[in-house]
Amino acid sequence: MSSPARLELRSVSKSFGAVRALSDASLTLAPKEIRGLCGHNGAGKSTLINVVTGLLSPDGGTIRIDGEQVHFGSPREAQSAGIVCVDQELSMVSSLTIAENLSLGSVDRGLFVRRATDRARSRALLERVGLGHHAPEELLGALSLGERQLVEIARALGRGARLLILDEPTATLTDFEIERVFDAVRRVAQEGCSVLFVSHRLGEVLRLCHTVTVMRDGRIAKESPATGLSADQLVEAMLGEQPERVAARAAGDHADVRLRVDRLRVGTRVREFSYDFHAGHIYGIAGQVGAGASEVLRALGGLVPEAAGRVEHDGRALSIHSPGRVKRAGLGFVTNDRKFDGLFLGRSVQENLTATRLGEVSRLGVISATAERDHARRVAEHAGVPVDRLAGAVGVLSGGNQQRTLLGRYTLDPTIRTLLVDEPTRGVDVGGRIAIHRLLAQAANDGMTVIFATSDLQELLELAMTAITMRAGRMVGAYSGELPHQALVADLTHRSGGEPEQVVA
Amino acid sequence: MTGRTVAKEGAAPLRAPRLNGRLTIAGAAACAFAALVLVLALTTHRFLTWQNIKAILSSASLVGIEALGLTFVTMVGGVVSLAVAEVAVVTAMAFLAMLGAGLVPALAIAMALGAAVSGIQGFAIGAWNANPVMFTISAAFLIDGVGQGLNNGQIVQPAAGGYGTLNATPLGVPVAVYVLVGLALALQFVTRRTVLGRQIMLVGENRPAARAAGLPITRVVTLAFAIAGIAFGIGGAFLGSFNAGASVLSEGTITFDAIAAVLVGGTSITGGHGSPLRTLAGSLAIAAITDVLLLRGFSTGPQVLLKGMLVVVVVVVTQARSRGRR
Repeated sequence: MSSPARLELRSVSKSFGAVRALSDASLTLAPKEIRGLCGHNGAGKSTLINVVTGLLSPDGGTIRIDGEQVHFGSPREAQSAGIVCVDQELSMVSSLTIAENLSLGSVDRGLFVRRATDRARSRALLERVGLGHHAPEELLGALSLGERQLVEIARALGRGARLLILDEPTATLTDFEIERVFDAVRRVAQEGCSVLFVSHRLGEVLRLCHTVTVMRDGRIAKESPATGLSADQLVEAMLGEQPERVAARAAGDHADVRLRVDRLRVGTRVREFSYDFHAGHIYGIAGQVGAGASEVLRALGGLVPEAAGRVEHDGRALSIHSPGRVKRAGLGFVTNDRKFDGLFLGRSVQENLTATRLGEVSRLGVISATAERDHARRVAEHAGVPVDRLAGAVGVLSGGNQQRTLLGRYTLDPTIRTLLVDEPTRGVDVGGRIAIHRLLAQAANDGMTVIFATSDLQELLELAMTAITMRAGRMVGAYSGELPHQALVADLTHRSGGEPEQVVA
Repeated sequence: MTGRTVAKEGAAPLRAPRLNGRLTIAGAAACAFAALVLVLALTTHRFLTWQNIKAILSSASLVGIEALGLTFVTMVGGVVSLAVAEVAVVTAMAFLAMLGAGLVPALAIAMALGAAVSGIQGFAIGAWNANPVMFTISAAFLIDGVGQGLNNGQIVQPAAGGYGTLNATPLGVPVAVYVLVGLALALQFVTRRTVLGRQIMLVGENRPAARAAGLPITRVVTLAFAIAGIAFGIGGAFLGSFNAGASVLSEGTITFDAIAAVLVGGTSITGGHGSPLRTLAGSLAIAAITDVLLLRGFSTGPQVLLKGMLVVVVVVVTQARSRGRR
């Protein structure tokens, strides 16, 4: 090689406690190269990116930029070395103009805003990402999501990016907008910038990237040129060996219909979802971020006011516009974001466990301390939460124990007959993950209907008895019995949301 | 998708040592403060006399009763109510006007009116997620307007003499002090031992989580405000009795004094943490400091200044602590 690599990672590793998030990862990226980075949630992609962008410092290994070894102490240092990451969630202010957004966070600024220079500079940057028809004075809020993504890229260029990292940039974009983003990315690469493109959408990765790296369990599992590579090969590399299934296969004939969902709609996020869920069964709804799987669960949990459609639970009409009514009707909801609307972080583990069942541990509105402690103890033992931590704050528990605390609210509650779990093992390590899967399998065994949403194909294969796939707000397929993982991948990645079809093996 | 942040894989978990570090800082600050007060108190002539302690207790009583109520607004996540004084004054007016029916009925009416006026605000904040600060400011103006309009801006005079009982001093201590302590204990029980108290804490700690868990948020917030209103009403009855009359002019600085007492007690302004007993301690601490300054001959200016500084210090320390916990 004549010139040194733009980015060179050699044997980089990073652990969190006992979890090796990144082990012995080596990766070389040439100038002008567009590299795809694939892998399931928890495969180590985010850790790798965080190490490169200076958010995390690696435990071992070396990082070189243009041949020079670097040790980033902060994201700012990485930025001044030309590494810019455009995140899934855009970090711009929609009430400011494009030009103002472009100069947000720039380092080389004096005390005053220099409008004229800013404007000329903005115009040139917009030109480079194919937004030349927009004036820098326009408000960012007037642009579409895809165009805002382009402005993000323009801002990265404005900061002198030599390595541009795009983390799931297309998750919320329409097909047309995706093309525009891709055009901009190709142009940027031709100008000499290297690009690391992180995506779950394998088809897009193959279309855009020159080379592809697949990660699995914190390691680099595969690295290959994109030409001649198929999505199936990528999936194989991502999955590794066929996962062990936790849930027992469903018995031939289903019990009664527990939850009947008829034409559920949530704005543009869920176009239409209908399905009959049976008792004692585990259903996995899978989809990429934004496909609508999570929204279906939140809507059924009563948390989406604009949801419409007919829902019946055990034969009785269910109003899905009040979480309290949904809970009283026998449905429990567990969020995918524990810190936001799951746990009461400042309260004790015990109070978190008994929050929904205070009526049972009290008389005439007065809580019995012993009844509450006994109840919490019983639930904790069942859910696998350490009993000696009941009095402590829930916020210091591990992700796995936090998730078990949330599930424990419902798994032993006889009034709960349907459990809705959004991303059952997000932020949970491998050991905790298996325990949580067992807990859910047991709940189903005891007659509960378990419905979970996941963006993790491996989790779908491990846990679901019936897999339902969604894309762009619609159901794509439903599979029972032996889950055909190639077909599932095809549903989730290739096919654009057309007519839903029912395939029951 | 929603705009919430998604937990990144491998995000470092909250660790206990950091929490302990913060607690130590908070603890040190509290000790330093207590030591300062102690030194001041011991070196101030006549501070530790029964006479003076009684004076501190009586001066703490009225604002203390209002602050106990306000604690519920803060704990349930309603930040603060800026209509404390207004509710107190209208209940004082009602109390004085109803005295003809007897002391007990008049008291009951004051408490019921307080519960209703404050409970309505709680309903709006619970059901529609109205901004508590903005909403209670508007409510304050509205209540003031109604209060003035009903009586043409005149001072409401007692309809009968029963209010004298509230000004009595059995065993040399004003009735209001007994009520302050009794109310604090009763509300402490509600906070710590009842289902409602627990739900108030949970809703205040994390409202989205309470919603997702199916807790009855509207009911809990409404009842928390209603309890606050009962305390405002009791305080209002004492306010009317002390002044033997009530008008919007008697509002004074009650609202902000009550807020100061809640904050100095260490109840978290963001909700979910705190207790009536803390507020009781907060009101007594403020009264004690004011008293020390009085005895040392400071004028009103420095008194208010020091009170303000105290609130700032305590708020900064409790905020640091609650950040460490999150």
